Amino acid sequence: MVRILVAEQSYLLRKGLTHILRQFPEVGEIEILGSHLGIEEVIHHFEPDLLIINSSIAASSNEEALSRQLPDTCHVLHIINTLLPPGAPDNQLSIYDSKVSLTDKISNTIKAISETKNMEESEELTPREKLILKHVALGQTNKEIAAVLFISAHTVISHRKNITRKLDIKSVSGLTVYAILNGIINMEDIS
Amino acid sequence: MRIHAHMKMADLVHLNFEVLAVIQRLQIPFGFKDKSVQTICEDNNIHVEFFLQLVQWFNERENFPQEQLMQGKAEWLVNYLHHTHQCYLHYQIPRIEKEIEDLEQLPGLSDQSAHLMVNFFREYMREFTAHIEDEENTTFPYILALSKTLSGQMDQKAFNLRYQKYSIDKYLDHHSDLEEKIFDLQSILLKHLPPPSNNCHFTNLLLEINRLGNDLKDHTLLEENVLIPKARQMEKELKTKSFNQ
Repeated sequence: MVRILVAEQSYLLRKGLTHILRQFPEVGEIEILGSHLGIEEVIHHFEPDLLIINSSIAASSNEEALSRQLPDTCHVLHIINTLLPPGAPDNQLSIYDSKVSLTDKISNTIKAISETKNMEESEELTPREKLILKHVALGQTNKEIAAVLFISAHTVISHRKNITRKLDIKSVSGLTVYAILNGIINMEDIS
Repeated sequence: MRIHAHMKMADLVHLNFEVLAVIQRLQIPFGFKDKSVQTICEDNNIHVEFFLQLVQWFNERENFPQEQLMQGKAEWLVNYLHHTHQCYLHYQIPRIEKEIEDLEQLPGLSDQSAHLMVNFFREYMREFTAHIEDEENTTFPYILALSKTLSGQMDQKAFNLRYQKYSIDKYLDHHSDLEEKIFDLQSILLKHLPPPSNNCHFTNLLLEINRLGNDLKDHTLLEENVLIPKARQMEKELKTKSFNQ
């Protein structure tokens, strides 16, 4: 399911946008914000696959901090409060766009997102991921795991993201419970 | 349906029972009779607009009244959040704890699995309590003092002395995510635990956990998107004020 964060100050636009978004079966949770206040925190918790943001909200927020918080894989669509010139990029939605044109642009983005998601979405953990999970459950940090397995910390992080996505468990103690339930580690291994 | 101050409080509840949470958190007593929303709010010293904003949000989820709530007094919001905390601590969390403890008696679930769940939840409870205590003992008093100083009820020198090294960003530094583990618990019970024999108990537990998780999400939204920006705004005002003096 595609997770979408809409940051738009106009009530009417928010309503219209969610109406269009809800027509796509791929769309899961939609979070709505009416201003730039607190947007970084919401992005951090919610981890959207798609951010639809009004250009004036983007302008009043700290763009650098914003892009730092955004997950690497997150797509962004910009809502522009004016008419668009012909040949404007596909990631810009004008408030004057017709329904057909809006739906087309949004549809392309959502398709692209759900295709990458489906490719990744096998639920079974790979042997490598199980190994990483074992170390995580034993309480080791990303750096420690990287050193033990001779891989970069970045690789550890990307494995962990996949583990969390497959299992739907984020916290270390939740992952530890999973590891014990599935015999990846023993109860006695953790003190 | 448009909600307004002159409708009967009892009718408002009938429209959507979820708004009982707002009523409880603002400490409005039951026994509404035929009284209107406005009358009941006035009787209980609650700003009627503030009440309506929260209730409206419960009725229309995608329309979070961020700006309107920020224009209200910090005291109102802190009071609301405080009573939400009380309800979590003294009612919802202990109830879920009890139900998780009861898992140990369910045939079909190994002792180890049940024990793991109990431990997981107790650890969460410790974190939860620490998080709430920090807000109740540090953050909320700070925000209330900030608001009092701005309105002239508290001396600015006294404020500066007391909060020399504190600012709302300090709070955000160690502000942990309360709903994360609740949703982890939900996934473990739903997806990863062998199915227990007593479905009724288990289903009820899952429903309660899901409800708490969603409520915590609302709670975080109120804190991070209204209370914190409001505190930042007040910090700024105070700075300008002291600069002008």
